[in-house]
Amino acid sequence: MSDKVNDPVALWQKMLGEMEKGFNSLASEALSSPQFSRAMNQAGGVTAGAHKQLGDLMERYLISMNMPSRSQMVGIAERLQTIEGQLADIKLLLQETLKQGGETRAGATPARPPRTRRPPTAPPPSGETP
Amino acid sequence: MSAAPALDLGSIQDRIQSEVQRAIMRSVKGVEYIASSGPALGSTPKDILSIRGTMRLYHYRPLADEIYRVPILIVMATTNRGYILDMVPGQSFIEFLLKRGYDVYMLDWTAPKPEERSLRMEDYVLDFIPHCLKRVQEDCGEEDVSVIGYCFGGVLSLLYASIHADGPVKNLICFTTPIDFRKMTLFQNFSDRRYFDVDGLVDAVGNVPPEMILSSFEMLRPASRAISQIQLWDNIWNDEYVKSYRMFDRWATDTLPLAGEYFRTITKDLMWDNKLFNGSMTVGGRAADLASIKVPLLHAVAEHDHIVPYEAARHLIPMVGSADKEEVILKGGHVSLVAGPNAMKRLWPKLDNWLCGRST
Repeated sequence: MSDKVNDPVALWQKMLGEMEKGFNSLASEALSSPQFSRAMNQAGGVTAGAHKQLGDLMERYLISMNMPSRSQMVGIAERLQTIEGQLADIKLLLQETLKQGGETRAGATPARPPRTRRPPTAPPPSGETP
Repeated sequence: MSAAPALDLGSIQDRIQSEVQRAIMRSVKGVEYIASSGPALGSTPKDILSIRGTMRLYHYRPLADEIYRVPILIVMATTNRGYILDMVPGQSFIEFLLKRGYDVYMLDWTAPKPEERSLRMEDYVLDFIPHCLKRVQEDCGEEDVSVIGYCFGGVLSLLYASIHADGPVKNLICFTTPIDFRKMTLFQNFSDRRYFDVDGLVDAVGNVPPEMILSSFEMLRPASRAISQIQLWDNIWNDEYVKSYRMFDRWATDTLPLAGEYFRTITKDLMWDNKLFNGSMTVGGRAADLASIKVPLLHAVAEHDHIVPYEAARHLIPMVGSADKEEVILKGGHVSLVAGPNAMKRLWPKLDNWLCGRST
């Protein structure tokens, strides 16, 4: 006990914890008021409205700077996703072909273990109880 | 009144020395922290079984010589990435399940593309989940499947199971799943129908941006991010602390956008009209009544969940029609319930104990 009283680091950590709880609790009261909801959603509405306009403006600016815009980057990401998807399809097709041929080889999905497992007679130790 | 404790000069000297060493280590490790990337997450070996737009179905390669007959399909929440359940070796829920002899599949999500803004609740509940269950059945050759839903993944699983009472779900496990959305008080206030123009938002932005989702999560505990950064600096000399911080921080900030139409339905049907709790929820015109769920059901909830408070989650067990049902309240919060040291010693073994006898 006296260690904790004398230990400035422990005191600091305790103070941080209390500060977090206190501030969160205080903020929670403020954030649950209808006034906050109205203010936040008014600001959010304006933001959403401005979002598209700003996006269009940035798009034109980036094109003038000879830099890829967000929509171009999204386009590249989409193409990558499509390529990933096609690779996955090819892999699936190869796996199916191998299965039909009854073949297995190094690198292919390993054979599945038998689905015959039974639960242990005594439950495994569950560690600390809640 | 007790006497003030005597000061032990020797111990103060030791403490000062230790703090000076830590201060030096903070400077060294601080530079390392900035210069290095975090640990690789979600690295348990897996194969992709299906990709359809935002949807991904993975199969994890078994790690046991003999596995249970009934496979598990994990349905991840649509707001976050599935690697929270597969952090790093030794701290991965997926790895735990595989080592305990389960055959594990995961329905995970990526950011919906702009043209996927029209995805509706029907697409998730009546298309993606049935599609994944069918693929799981084809892949493993078993009819029965146990489903685990985390957070909103639990809501989607419940909606599916209540509409498909005769479907392949053998066991249903929900982790911290909201039922009474009125009790998510801060989210309720953020989406107050008097002030929140969901139609205007969705029409303007299409998919709801991840920054907005992240902000709404962070506003639930506005001081926590700043305090966690101070705590990180305090503990930056401690490699394990830093590793854990980086894993959770990366996941928490890796929020996904939500498909616009889907978000509109969540807001109107669940946040505003509380239809799941009222028993009036429909998906694609089909009634989703929780009472029609008859399969064994386990609901794990966290004592200190600030996202889905117990008051919002506690109605699941009384409302489902299952005879075999159990609610377990565990110490921890919304995330520490499922991942990290708390989950490893509480939820994971509890789930294994509950599920192993029901997986043969």
